[in-house]
Amino acid sequence: MDEPLALGVAAPDRPHAPWVLRGVGGVLVLGGVVLAAVELSRNGAWGPALSRLALGAFGWGPLVGAVTGILEARRAAAPGPVLWLLGPAAAAWLVGWALVALGSMRGSGSAPVVTEGTAGALSGPLAGWRDFHLSTLAAYAVGILGAELVLVLVQTALASASRGVGWGPPAAFGVALTAGAAVAFVGGFVGAARSRKLSAPEATIAVLYLGVPLPALLSILPAVPVLDARLGPRLREVIYVANLLGRPEMGYWLVFSLLVLALTLGILTGFVANASGRLDVRTGFELFVARRHVHVFRPRLLLGALVVLLLGIIPPLIVLGILRAADAAVERTRIRELGRRDPLAAARAVHDAQERSQSPTAMMTALSVGGVGVGVMALIIVLSVMSGFEVDLQKKILGTNAHVVVLKYGDPQAGMPEYPEVMKKVAGVPGVIGQTPFLLGQVMVSSEANVDGAIIKGVDPETAGQVTDLPRNVLPGGDIRWLAHPEDIPVRTRYKLDKPPADDVIQAPKNAPAAPPLPGILLGRELASSLRVLVGDPVTVVSPLGGGMGPSGPIPRSKAFRVAGIFYTGMFEYDSKFVYVGLQAAESFFGIPGATGVELKVKDVDDARRIASTVLNALEGYPYRTKDWGEMNRNLFSALRLEKLVMGIILSIIVVVAAGLIVATVTMLVLEKRKEISVLKALGVPQGGIVKIFLAEGLQIGLAGGLLGLFSGLAWCLFIEKVGLRLDPEVYYIPSLPVKVEPLQTALTVLIAILVTYLASIFPALRASRVEPVEGLKGE
Amino acid sequence: MAFVQIRELHKSYWLHGKRIDVLRGLSLDIERGELVSLVGASGSGKSTFLHVLGTLDAPVSGTMEVDGVDVLGLGDADLARFRNRTVGFVFQSHYLLPEFTALENVAIPALVQRMERSAALRRARGLLERVGLASRVDHRPGELSGGEAQRVALARALVLEPTLLLADEPTGNLDPVTGEGIHQVLRDVNRDLGITAVVVTHNEALARSMPRRLRLTGGRVEPA
Repeated sequence: MDEPLALGVAAPDRPHAPWVLRGVGGVLVLGGVVLAAVELSRNGAWGPALSRLALGAFGWGPLVGAVTGILEARRAAAPGPVLWLLGPAAAAWLVGWALVALGSMRGSGSAPVVTEGTAGALSGPLAGWRDFHLSTLAAYAVGILGAELVLVLVQTALASASRGVGWGPPAAFGVALTAGAAVAFVGGFVGAARSRKLSAPEATIAVLYLGVPLPALLSILPAVPVLDARLGPRLREVIYVANLLGRPEMGYWLVFSLLVLALTLGILTGFVANASGRLDVRTGFELFVARRHVHVFRPRLLLGALVVLLLGIIPPLIVLGILRAADAAVERTRIRELGRRDPLAAARAVHDAQERSQSPTAMMTALSVGGVGVGVMALIIVLSVMSGFEVDLQKKILGTNAHVVVLKYGDPQAGMPEYPEVMKKVAGVPGVIGQTPFLLGQVMVSSEANVDGAIIKGVDPETAGQVTDLPRNVLPGGDIRWLAHPEDIPVRTRYKLDKPPADDVIQAPKNAPAAPPLPGILLGRELASSLRVLVGDPVTVVSPLGGGMGPSGPIPRSKAFRVAGIFYTGMFEYDSKFVYVGLQAAESFFGIPGATGVELKVKDVDDARRIASTVLNALEGYPYRTKDWGEMNRNLFSALRLEKLVMGIILSIIVVVAAGLIVATVTMLVLEKRKEISVLKALGVPQGGIVKIFLAEGLQIGLAGGLLGLFSGLAWCLFIEKVGLRLDPEVYYIPSLPVKVEPLQTALTVLIAILVTYLASIFPALRASRVEPVEGLKGE
Repeated sequence: MAFVQIRELHKSYWLHGKRIDVLRGLSLDIERGELVSLVGASGSGKSTFLHVLGTLDAPVSGTMEVDGVDVLGLGDADLARFRNRTVGFVFQSHYLLPEFTALENVAIPALVQRMERSAALRRARGLLERVGLASRVDHRPGELSGGEAQRVALARALVLEPTLLLADEPTGNLDPVTGEGIHQVLRDVNRDLGITAVVVTHNEALARSMPRRLRLTGGRVEPA
């Protein structure tokens, strides 16, 4: 059937030239690949290149991953050889493909020889055959490239304009991504509408040749200093957003993939809406047919899938088995009894029972719904738990640390005596809602029972609460205000008298009427328990330096404090390592005038970085410098975000598998309904209508699965939140699994899952539309 | 000009690499409102000719105009509309859609045309009454007898009042009495609505009852 013989056209002897062209082209392409490979091993870049490859395997990363790998290796290997082989490799690749294309065109372009029959106007399907649409290519190119440029421009414009206004780069990114996706969608729609087909070659060319370069450029930017110096400042807003992820290139390719997805959706929608020759987005009839083909929204199916999602597979199966067996036994006895009295009614019952047994396609449909549901549910639960951890961590870190600190270059012993002026200047910066001076040092803390190392922080009890949660973290029984009023600290009577410790006694004159009260100190819960002290107990703070030089070297300086309170932040590190004293006490202890710096609280924590730079501007730069909380805890948060992203990608594999199930299901449906497709075509349904019918069937499955997944995922999250899964607090320092359902993230998960299933049914739907009308009407 | 004007129609198949020429330069004119019977030996290409005439199958070469429109040059969308509005098909098997009731099956061409659901169903009900199936509207095709299903198929073909009715052995699977009922409906719609009809049949009696009789032999038609 596939022979190239056609009526009136004898297969001509094809000349050899096209094959030579194709062969040479193919060899050149291979040569390009080999050259690139040689270059890789020459630079010893296989390791990094492969690791990049593995990381980027989920997106468009591989190619660029390899290139950045090489560049990294080159930077590592000092002034290594220039990558002169890569240029020829790329050239060979391009020229090779051009030759292959030329060969193909020559090969098929030989003129046919008319032998018999009459030549007339092109008829039937031949009339619609045309190969390449330049206007479609242009539309796709504008779609993808325009989307990228719009994204970059909008991000730059919005993020720059919002400097100091209050809504940060992430919000700007949301707007920019939406705008970019809209452009890609429109480009795809217009292109497909012009050619009235999907035009895969045009789309491929547009994406590969016009879409890839920008993210590729961004990815290799850090590895090429020349480019970085020239373009880095212009693209800084984009780079900044990508850096929030920890691995910027992953961010670029993820966004690129999203834009390609938007383009694909646009192409598909444009095709479906215009395939019948004019814009036709009405779907009433198609939905009518699709709903009869696939009964997804049946209460029994939905309920069954939901129960499986909520309780797991095995228990419902056992229950179902028991119910089925009982039903069948009762039913058979009933029909037998009925048969004695009323054979007609019995026959009817047998007929109904047979009717109820499910077809394989119905089974597949149920499985696909379940598959999509499982994927969406897993994604929602895992992402919500990870968000929970992140929020918990952020809350604890920000409860103890300031959002932004102002520091000073130079000798730490010089301190920042002018901190009141600094605070006055900073107070005028928009977005700053609290500030307090602090002084930081490292000490040993000793009690009668134990000794431990600690970081001591001098704080202003009056204003500390504006910036951190310290006052609120002090456990009942203590009070931060006692740092300023040590005379109020209740003295514990564990010791017979309120006698200062021995070394203090040495310095105090013996006949003093009353020793001044010991200054107060706040300890973390863990530190307090390791020192075995309670509020009112005295502790001694020792600094190894600062006591001057003695005959045997530096003399440690020490001072007695009284525990004014015990605080609990929930972070083991803070609770075991931090102690707080009054600012004046710290100043006199360390002999540092003023403070180490000023801590600030900002209105929007996500915008801390930007506000920090504004603060620095207000202070006119050197000798001052600022650090934001993200910078201080960068590793922690970027690791967390990256982990979340990778988990998301891995779990998406479930959704991809489910999409495969949908492909199989809809393909089976198409095979099952071949005859019906032919009949529908005979009744006047155009190709686009058939595509719509089967897309709707796939979409129904995706919709049902996505909603079930959403519902069960939220149910699980609620369960985890309300009932709680216990964690070992010794290990996690958190009593139960934290959950934070982020609405945007959840909605995006469901939306993307549904879109993926929608895309998955394109292929079978297109196949269905190509069923010839006579195909199903024959052979009976 | 004739309502249907066919010139030099060629159609070939390839079976295991061998070419089978089914239509060899077939030319034919059919006037508006004619009722034509087409007979011929099995395998002579009657069904193929009917499919080509209904644009379900494309010929290799030749020209064909229906109501002044060159239907072979139409694109997919226009072809679909042509099949939907101008042509009504009745096949040897009923080819009703199994998931839909008789009423819905009849309404489908109207729904394809984006007619309102209620209007389409009303129209379909009227046609089912006309073919004598008012009591079977809510039955699925599996619950209908062969004759009933074929009458539903006929109603479906007529629901949009096509100008050209193509029937491919509509009574081939039915007993003579049931078949005669179908024939009667065919003759009625031709007379009452002026629908041009081409009926392929093996039934000599039916063929003889038609005003114009054609025979397909050697890939061409001749009067029978």
